[in-house]
Amino acid sequence: MERWQPVSVLSNIRRGEVAGVRIGGHEVVLWREDAQAATLHAWEDRCPHRGMRLSFGFVRDDALGCLYHGWQFGGAARCRLIPAHPRVRVPASIHVRTYTVREHAGLAWVSMEGAEDFPHQQADWPEHAQPVRTVHVHAPVGQVRHAVGLAPDGGMAWHGPVGLAVHEPVAGQAMLHVVRAADGPSALTLSHWAERLRDAVEGGAQTAPVMAELAAGATA
Amino acid sequence: MTSGLTLYDWTPDVRCYAVRLGLSLMGVAYDTQAADMDLPTFQRPVGLRPGERPPVLLVAGDVRMTRPGTIMQFAARQPAVARAWLDPAHEWAILDWLDFGTMALDALAAARDLAFGTTLPVLPPMGALVAALRRMEDHMSARAMAGHEWFAAPAASIADVLPFVVFALSADLEVERDTCPALRRWAHRMRGLPGFVVMPGVPDYA
Repeated sequence: MERWQPVSVLSNIRRGEVAGVRIGGHEVVLWREDAQAATLHAWEDRCPHRGMRLSFGFVRDDALGCLYHGWQFGGAARCRLIPAHPRVRVPASIHVRTYTVREHAGLAWVSMEGAEDFPHQQADWPEHAQPVRTVHVHAPVGQVRHAVGLAPDGGMAWHGPVGLAVHEPVAGQAMLHVVRAADGPSALTLSHWAERLRDAVEGGAQTAPVMAELAAGATA
Repeated sequence: MTSGLTLYDWTPDVRCYAVRLGLSLMGVAYDTQAADMDLPTFQRPVGLRPGERPPVLLVAGDVRMTRPGTIMQFAARQPAVARAWLDPAHEWAILDWLDFGTMALDALAAARDLAFGTTLPVLPPMGALVAALRRMEDHMSARAMAGHEWFAAPAASIADVLPFVVFALSADLEVERDTCPALRRWAHRMRGLPGFVVMPGVPDYA
């Protein structure tokens, strides 16, 4: 099944940054070029040389470098420099597995199947959603989806000016992504609200009163 | 041997690293007495008292300090150290987070000792450490939204040092970086500070 996973708010992955995320137990590195285009990439989080996680590495201009031995991978995920052998023409076979990634509604979306169509593009979501925060919730993803009113295959749940999305980093845990329309409650208010929702889910408390705060605008 | 400060230091100990990092960031010079606590007692430096564990900071052979939080305050109050490390305008917030940091650092040290003090590494109870990291993540998320980059003041202060050690080395205990995105971004700034130093488990660039 081709599926787009919301993996992070975009404010966590700015120009020149690299971040590891997990999708259903698979390690994925997100990184954004420190170059004019500042393209966002999503690759398998593993250097083909020694298996080191590339999310521990560093961005240099339009390439991602591995922390271990500095192998550098360009935007097309091919290795283009091995610092210990700077004059070697690197074989094309040395490359990192890539996934497709889209930036939409303040979130980074990844398809591990390499899907090219992005159905959420047509969704009736506010045009310029602003990222608020990604919050780790130590509870099964189904519980969090249920709490925020997301169908199992739903992309986002909008509660007025507040958009919520969920993905599963690993079984038994969830990441809750919060975005807001420009006329929504402040980012700080929503951040504290998300903490209350997280604590309610983890503590087995009623989540409906926390969700009702959104409907009532009591978060504002 | 002119600094007047002697640090009894055990390289792989997280509290010792916190002290080395803080002193280095603040530009405080000291002499080192290496103390390998895995060695039998008679092979440890004579200046270390029975039952004492590094870090121990000895000032001019008189004052002894063993708590990283106290050592941070001592260093930040030295005349040659930039006032920002204990900014008078934010002193209470800095001291409050410094105290929190000492608690969190103790939780990290206890968990690491349990995890690594065995033939086969095991995962210890993580409750205290995870709770500390979560409070740090919530705090730094809120700070970022209010336009602040550091824990307790407009610039890096001694409030940032111990939490950095806690976050950086919690990776050894399988705390995934993606659960703490705000701490990841702040830790990256810490690495860029002049005088930043590493220890095994904290890579020197990232």
